[in-house]
Amino acid sequence: MAVTHMTEPHTGDDEPLLSVRNLTKHYPITDGLLATDVGRVRAVDGIDLDVYPGETVGIVGESGCGKSTAARSLLRLEEPTAGTVVFDGEDITAFDTSALKRFRRRAQLLFQDSDSSFDPRMNVGDAIAEPLTVQGMRERTRRREIVTDLLDRVGLSAADADRYPHELSGGQQQRVALARALSVNPELLIADEPTAALDVSVQSEILALLDDLHATVGLSILLISHDLGVIRQLCDRVAVMYIGEIVERGSVEDVFTNPQHPYTRALVASIPTTDPRERGTAVELTGDVPSPSNPPSGCRFHTRCPELIQPDGYDFDQRTWRRIMDLRQHLADGTVDIETICHQSVMDHDDDTGPDQRSETEPTAKLREEFALPEQLEDARADSILESALDCLVAGDPGRAADLLATEFATPCEQHAPTLEATDAGQDASCLRHD
Amino acid sequence: MTQDDPLLTVENLHTSFHTDDGTVNAVDGVDFTVRRGETVCLVGESGSGKTVACESITQLFKRPPGEITAGSIVFDGIELTNCSERELTDIRGARISHVFQNPQNALNPVYTIGWQLLEAIELHQDVSRAAARAEAVELLDRVGISEASDRLEAYPHELSGGMKQRVMIAMALACQPDLLIADEPTTALDVTIQAQILRLLKDLQAEYGIGILFVTHDLGVVAEIADRVVVLYAGKVMERGTVYDVFETPCHPYTRALLDCLPGRGSLGGIPGSLPDPMAPPAGCRFHDRCPDAVPDCSTGDQPAFESVVGEDHEVSCLHYRTAAEPTVLESGVEPRRPSERTDGGDTHD
Amino acid sequence: MSSDSDSRRNTFEDVDWDEIDDTARPISHRALAIASAYAIFVGGVAYDVLLAPEGDTIASLGLSLQALDWLYILTLLTLVVFGLVPLSEHRRMTAHYWNQFKKNTAAVVSLGYLLVVFAIGSIGPRVLEKPRVDARNAYQPPVFTSVESWLPVDCVGPVVNDRCHGTWAHPLGTTHEGKDILVSVIYGMEVSMQVGLIAAFITVTIATVVGISAAYFGGWVDTVLMRYVDLQITFPTFFLYLVVVYLYGGSLFSMIVIFGLLGWGSIARIVRSEALQRREETYVLAAKNAGASSSWTIRRHLLPNVSNSVITAATLLIPSLILFEASLAFLGLGDPTVPSWGGLIASGRNDLQYAWWISTIPGVFLFGTILAFNFIGDALRDAFDPRSGGGTT
Repeated sequence: MAVTHMTEPHTGDDEPLLSVRNLTKHYPITDGLLATDVGRVRAVDGIDLDVYPGETVGIVGESGCGKSTAARSLLRLEEPTAGTVVFDGEDITAFDTSALKRFRRRAQLLFQDSDSSFDPRMNVGDAIAEPLTVQGMRERTRRREIVTDLLDRVGLSAADADRYPHELSGGQQQRVALARALSVNPELLIADEPTAALDVSVQSEILALLDDLHATVGLSILLISHDLGVIRQLCDRVAVMYIGEIVERGSVEDVFTNPQHPYTRALVASIPTTDPRERGTAVELTGDVPSPSNPPSGCRFHTRCPELIQPDGYDFDQRTWRRIMDLRQHLADGTVDIETICHQSVMDHDDDTGPDQRSETEPTAKLREEFALPEQLEDARADSILESALDCLVAGDPGRAADLLATEFATPCEQHAPTLEATDAGQDASCLRHD
Repeated sequence: MTQDDPLLTVENLHTSFHTDDGTVNAVDGVDFTVRRGETVCLVGESGSGKTVACESITQLFKRPPGEITAGSIVFDGIELTNCSERELTDIRGARISHVFQNPQNALNPVYTIGWQLLEAIELHQDVSRAAARAEAVELLDRVGISEASDRLEAYPHELSGGMKQRVMIAMALACQPDLLIADEPTTALDVTIQAQILRLLKDLQAEYGIGILFVTHDLGVVAEIADRVVVLYAGKVMERGTVYDVFETPCHPYTRALLDCLPGRGSLGGIPGSLPDPMAPPAGCRFHDRCPDAVPDCSTGDQPAFESVVGEDHEVSCLHYRTAAEPTVLESGVEPRRPSERTDGGDTHD
Repeated sequence: MSSDSDSRRNTFEDVDWDEIDDTARPISHRALAIASAYAIFVGGVAYDVLLAPEGDTIASLGLSLQALDWLYILTLLTLVVFGLVPLSEHRRMTAHYWNQFKKNTAAVVSLGYLLVVFAIGSIGPRVLEKPRVDARNAYQPPVFTSVESWLPVDCVGPVVNDRCHGTWAHPLGTTHEGKDILVSVIYGMEVSMQVGLIAAFITVTIATVVGISAAYFGGWVDTVLMRYVDLQITFPTFFLYLVVVYLYGGSLFSMIVIFGLLGWGSIARIVRSEALQRREETYVLAAKNAGASSSWTIRRHLLPNVSNSVITAATLLIPSLILFEASLAFLGLGDPTVPSWGGLIASGRNDLQYAWWISTIPGVFLFGTILAFNFIGDALRDAFDPRSGGGTT
């Protein structure tokens, strides 16, 4: 283990080991007998990323944001739709089969699900040696020595080589997976959720091991995780992904202590605190992540963003503003169940006063309640427009209601896609508030 | 509602599994109580027996091989270990509900969620179809699923993971249970969705006053939701107390090690060694062979008896917690603001 | 990357991959041994076809090998190369399978029974003379039993109280032609094993190649192969065999070849669906990540992992083939020169009233063999589940 490598973080003027530009991976959606193309799942939609030698870079995001697809595409385990991936000066998207095979010695992927990443019929020794065998090392004794050394380094014993994957615990499997990835002495290790399936104590062991290898072997690591704690612990720099795009990128310190994108802020705030006295401080994001097959227009986060930009001339409470936009979103999705809401309103009314005294404003008040909107918006003009939109809705014309709201309460966030640009805080963020 | 009357009292619970290779005592003498309106977290790593402990309450595991060999489980005055399968069936779902870790597997993919929700309602309540449907819509609405009446027609695969877990919670709430047992309900979910679900559980608890038994390995979640914490290791309780006491003055070395494993707290490296063989657990304290503070006494006799520590119902099963932990913290009663600031054995600082 | 290789043991850091790329790749001993075994086989066949005098393969040894025998040899050779050799190389996995397998007592007894049948069926016909027609010895009862003395022309054993008792000269009695049933049953063992193993070998080989190719390559390869399978499954194989019998007379060889070549469709479908699932497993991606080629992935990952369903399907296919051969022989559509169990059963069907043993005894063997294969098939299916039962210690 006496080999020395560059372990210092990059200084800025050296060449990146990995340089990803505009990496894109779309999956076609086909339909019908003739398998006609009816759309695309934009799993990864143009990401730029650099990894310098000896550096640990994280990609963080929720499930479905495309981070795993990005990992597989940039190793060409899946063919990227577009973009270039330059590794040590060479564009790997142009590699032929034999060049790609040689490239696999230099960049390895550590899989998320260590259990299914092992052939149940191959013992641990053969599994670790598989990359060596595949790459052409024929001498069995030499392979065995390397396997023994690797097992030792990842904290297992040589006798474990004869065991089968199902005989190992999750943590041991992940150690074996790490040994397999290291066997060809790669310069870059892409670790895809290496600890997601593990207990905290085991997770901590694996992270310590990765950190140790990073230091002793001089590996560059691209760590992909949904867990900000893990990223924070291991990485120098981090990129935050949301629906196939990078929304913020910078040093871990900057991004986590002073996040510049509202999504990052929400993500950082939703990490459960480890202090019970600080509970309940999370910024709660409403709704689910939209589908990458039909990403929102403009800024992709605008359907959930708690810091949405307001139209000129308005100054709503940000929470109210979010709810108006949620109502618009529901109208656009066609998922407002006006029948049920009005029906309930009539029923409630029946109980109290009887149908005769029902006032005309009753159903719209019910709608406001349903969408958690205040009874009266502060701004009178805005309130009258909201009221007339709700009237249209009650009258059974949701299309007109949507139009009314869309013309009055338009936000630049849904019209203009922000670009990833440097912010005053130091890191890059893609938010119109910084443009 | 009497807050202090325990809703569920588990005493000296022993649950064993008889396998081909021998008997595994998955739960080996566990005590805890859950009161109404309270959230109790069972914390431990996989293999600690936390899931078996909560499945023992309504005997959800397969029998055989599983069997409750000793102990008592009193739920609202009923001794559950003496109940027949029929009586248990009446209690399951109606008075004690479960929410499982994996919403993907807990919902049947061939039925709509409405069908499954109505089934849960009609199984335990004598109501008309229309009333059941109205209740289903109400429930989905309550767990934060918008346009609920449309969603009744949806199939599980059409919903996201967070949505499915909301449906599972709605099903668990269908019969207004007194006790909700949630087994790692957020482990399979993203952090932002996890925050939503935890908030939902807290809101529902405030509204209905149900007791929640929450099983998790994630101490971050515990800090977020628990009132009281029970730390399990290899089938035994190591420490229990209020969440503040356990997090701020953790007394058992295992609790401290677990807290140190949290990313961003303590140091990297995990807990050296691995869980003991469940067929042949070590004598003495179960944790002694991985314990940084172990002394020879720790490896003889039984698991140490519980000793009370400063704090409400704060108890620890460790012979030497006083010497192992920072004594000034415990004796002076001064609470440190954050547990990471405490100084123990001296080896956890980086 | 530095590569200062001193005397310490090899580590991954001091591998010089350029050097490895440059060195010529020696062929492994194992591949050499397998290749030479098959080369010897091909040489033998070539000699038989091209050079050997008619009906006499290796005259000096007095051996006369028919096409069927060559096929049988090929089957057994393949069984050793791709069955026994890998099992002996992976001792721990084998021990694990065996531990799982032996939980099923019926299957262990069945395996013992089949090994005995296989051994006797392989050796018996080499040392025992083929049963001959001997009218004077007809209708001898099995030992310990007796029949009324008018039935046998000439009772070999003692005649007591007008009843002819069986003797050890013919322990299982004789047929209406005076053939010894024990010897006939032993000859029938070889026939049954040949039918079952050869046809299963042909079927499994084709089904595996077709199923895996369809699943791995997908696209038009998949479409063409699977549409062909659809066609083949609807093809009336039985009537084809009838035509062949009508034109050329019944022959065991043609029967095995016809049913082997046209009966693999359903197994190919099983293999394909299994391989489709395996192809999506992360370990296949992991192999790709290691730089593995398609052929490596197929050989090292797909093939071993579909083998459980293939072997299970084969063990359930073999008894149905044996039964089918017996049925054809019973109907008189078999090979009249082959002493199969079905033929033996058929020969006794007119005498069931007074000579029960002629049909019953081979029937018992047939029944036992089929049952044994079925038991083994069930036990293998359980044993091959790689996650069953945890570790072996």
